[in-house]
Amino acid sequence: MQRNSNQSVTVEKETPLEVDPGYLTVTDLNPVDEESYNENLEAHLQSLARDGVQALYASLFTLPTRPSPDGPLAQLPPPKTQLPRAKPLPKPKPQTKWEAFAAAKGIQHKVRDRREWDEEKQDWVNRWGRNGKNKQIEEQWITEVPLNADADYDPRKVARDARKERVAKNEKKHAQNVTRAAAAANPRDARKTDIEKTLATTRISTASMGKFDKKLDGEKKIRGVKRKFDPTEKSVSDEAKASVALLSRLESDAKKTRREPQAEESVLNTRKAVRFASKGRGGLALGREAAGGRSSRGGRGRGGKR
Amino acid sequence: MLRTIKPKNARSKRAMDARSPKEVEDARTAIFVKGTHTGETLNAVMRDLMALKRPNAISFNKKNPIHPFDSNTSSISSLEFWAGKNDASLFLVGQTTKKRPNGLTFVRMYDGQVLDMMEVGVDSWTGMDSLKTPKSTPGHKPLMHFASELFDTHPRYIQLKSMLMDFFNGEVVDSICLPGLEHVISVSCAPTPASLNNAPVNMYPNQQPSAPEDVSSLPKIHIRTYTTRLLSSGTRIPRVELTLMGPNLDLSLRRHKAADTELLKQAMKRPKLKKTDIEKGLGKKRKNLEVDEMGDLRGRVHVGKQDLNKLQTRKMKGLKGGELDAEEDDGQKSDDGDDTPRKKKRKQA
Repeated sequence: MQRNSNQSVTVEKETPLEVDPGYLTVTDLNPVDEESYNENLEAHLQSLARDGVQALYASLFTLPTRPSPDGPLAQLPPPKTQLPRAKPLPKPKPQTKWEAFAAAKGIQHKVRDRREWDEEKQDWVNRWGRNGKNKQIEEQWITEVPLNADADYDPRKVARDARKERVAKNEKKHAQNVTRAAAAANPRDARKTDIEKTLATTRISTASMGKFDKKLDGEKKIRGVKRKFDPTEKSVSDEAKASVALLSRLESDAKKTRREPQAEESVLNTRKAVRFASKGRGGLALGREAAGGRSSRGGRGRGGKR
Repeated sequence: MLRTIKPKNARSKRAMDARSPKEVEDARTAIFVKGTHTGETLNAVMRDLMALKRPNAISFNKKNPIHPFDSNTSSISSLEFWAGKNDASLFLVGQTTKKRPNGLTFVRMYDGQVLDMMEVGVDSWTGMDSLKTPKSTPGHKPLMHFASELFDTHPRYIQLKSMLMDFFNGEVVDSICLPGLEHVISVSCAPTPASLNNAPVNMYPNQQPSAPEDVSSLPKIHIRTYTTRLLSSGTRIPRVELTLMGPNLDLSLRRHKAADTELLKQAMKRPKLKKTDIEKGLGKKRKNLEVDEMGDLRGRVHVGKQDLNKLQTRKMKGLKGGELDAEEDDGQKSDDGDDTPRKKKRKQA
C-alpha cells in the first residue's frame, strides 16, 4: 500500500489538500491516522509529506511559465494565506503642485529622454550636464548677435543667466513643495483649520445669522473671503492678453464651457416624431418623400401618388 | 519617540531607503539569540535552523540575559532595540533551564514592536550532519507542508503555522524557477487527542492571557526536512520522491503570547489594489469586461439564445403551400408533444 501511494502522481484524500502556490505551501487538513503514526513514525511522516508535496507540485507545474535565461519561471499567483506585515504600509508621497495640476487636467507623465539628437553633430548629446545641449550657446565659439544689440551685449552671459534663472526657479518651486507637504502633514494645523471652519459655520447658523448672539470676550469678527477686482485701468497689452486667454478658453476646452441644453429636446422627442411622420420607415425615407413631393410639382417622381 | 533622521550622503540615503517600508516586503531577517544558558542540543538546533534560514539570518555569538515571557525584565525592549539596529523582524531565542529544558522562542515583530511570541521545547533532534544524504543549496526557497486539522482549528497551531511560514517562506515572489525548488519543510502533528476535539474553542484567547493552559494535552509537532527528487511520470506533472535531509525536530508547545488585536489589525492591512490589477481580474471579480489593445474597455452582453423557429423569414409563395409537408412531418413524428408553436398555429388554422 505504501508502494502504491508512492507511485501515484495524483493525490486523493478525504479532505482535499489546501494548496497555496503563492507561498509554496500545502496544508493537509485530514486527521492524522493514529495507527500508522504508532506503527512507524518516520515512514508515516514521509508518506504524508510526499502526498502533500506531490499535490503542491501538481499545482506548481500547471502554472503559466515565462522563459528566462535560467530556465522557465513559473508565474506564482498572489498568496491566499495572510501573514502579518513586518512594517506598516508605506505612506503615499504628497503631491507636488504640478502633480496635482496634471492630475486635475489629465496630463500624462512623459519620461523625457536624457539625450537629445544634435542635427549639426549628427549624434546624440546630453540634454543637460557635461557637454549638455542646454549650454550650447555658452560653449560654442561664435554666436550671432542681434542687430540692435548694445555694444556690451554678451550673448553667452544672457544665455547663462537665463539658464541659471531656470535652475533657481526650479529650486524655489521645490522648496515650496517641501514646505507645503510639511504643512499638510502637520495634523495639528489641519485640525485647527477644521475647528475654525466649524466655528464659523455655527456662528452664522442662528435665525439672525449671528447678529443678535451674545458676544464672548475676545471673540473675533468672522472674516469672509476678500473679493479682488481687476483695476479699472489696465495696460493695453494686459487687456489684449486677458481677452485672448478668454477666447482660447472658450474655443479649446469643450468640457469647461458649459453647453446650452437643447430646449427642444425636452418638449419634442425628435426620434419619435420622425418615426411617426415617416410611418416607421425612418428619416431618410421621409426626406426622399419630401424631395419627391416638391419635385412632383415639376412633374417627376412618385410624389404624385398622394 | 524616534527622531527623524535625514540622510547626509547618498550612501546613507540608499541604506535608509532599503530599510523603509515597502509595499511588497522583502524576506524577514531572523536574529538567532542565545539566552543565559543553551545546551549542546540547542546550539546545534539553532545552527541547523540558521542553515535553513540563510542568507536572511543573523547570529548573536554572545549569551544574553533575555527572558521574553518575563514582563518584569527589559527583554522586550532589548528585542525591539536589536530589531531596529539590525532591521530584523524575527527572533529565535534559545534558552534551557531546569524547568523548561531546551526551549526555543519564536518572536515576531511589527513596526519595531513585538507582535507575538511562541515557545516550543525540543524533545528530540537529529542534525543535518548526522544524516549522510544530499543537502539543499543555501538560499533556495523551501516548500512547506503542514499536516493536521489543528492547523485550521486550534489557535495555538494556527499561530505556529503562521510563524513558521513567516520564518521560512514569508516572502511574496511573483515568479519562481521550478528546478530551483529543492527541499521541503514538513510540519505535522501527533494524532489529535479526543479531549482537544471536544473541548470548546476559546474564541478570545486575548481575554485571559494569564490563565494557565494545559500544555501537556497539546499534541507534539514533528518537523522534518526532505530534499525532493523529481522523476518523470509520463505526464507533465513529475512524480516526487523525498529523501530525509535534516534537521529533524520533535517539538512540544509551551508558553505563548498571542498578538494584540489592534496591532494585528494594523499588521494585516493590505495595499490597495492598483487599477491594472483589478482589470487583470484580481480583487473583485469582473466578468465579461476586457481591455482591448487600444486601451478601451469592452463589454460582452448576453442576449439569450435566439429561437430560430420564431424567426420571420421572407415570405414567398412557393414556401407557403406547405400543408402537405406539415402533415407529413406530423405523421413522421410521434405524439410526444414537442410541437413548435408554429406548427400548433398551423394545426389550429
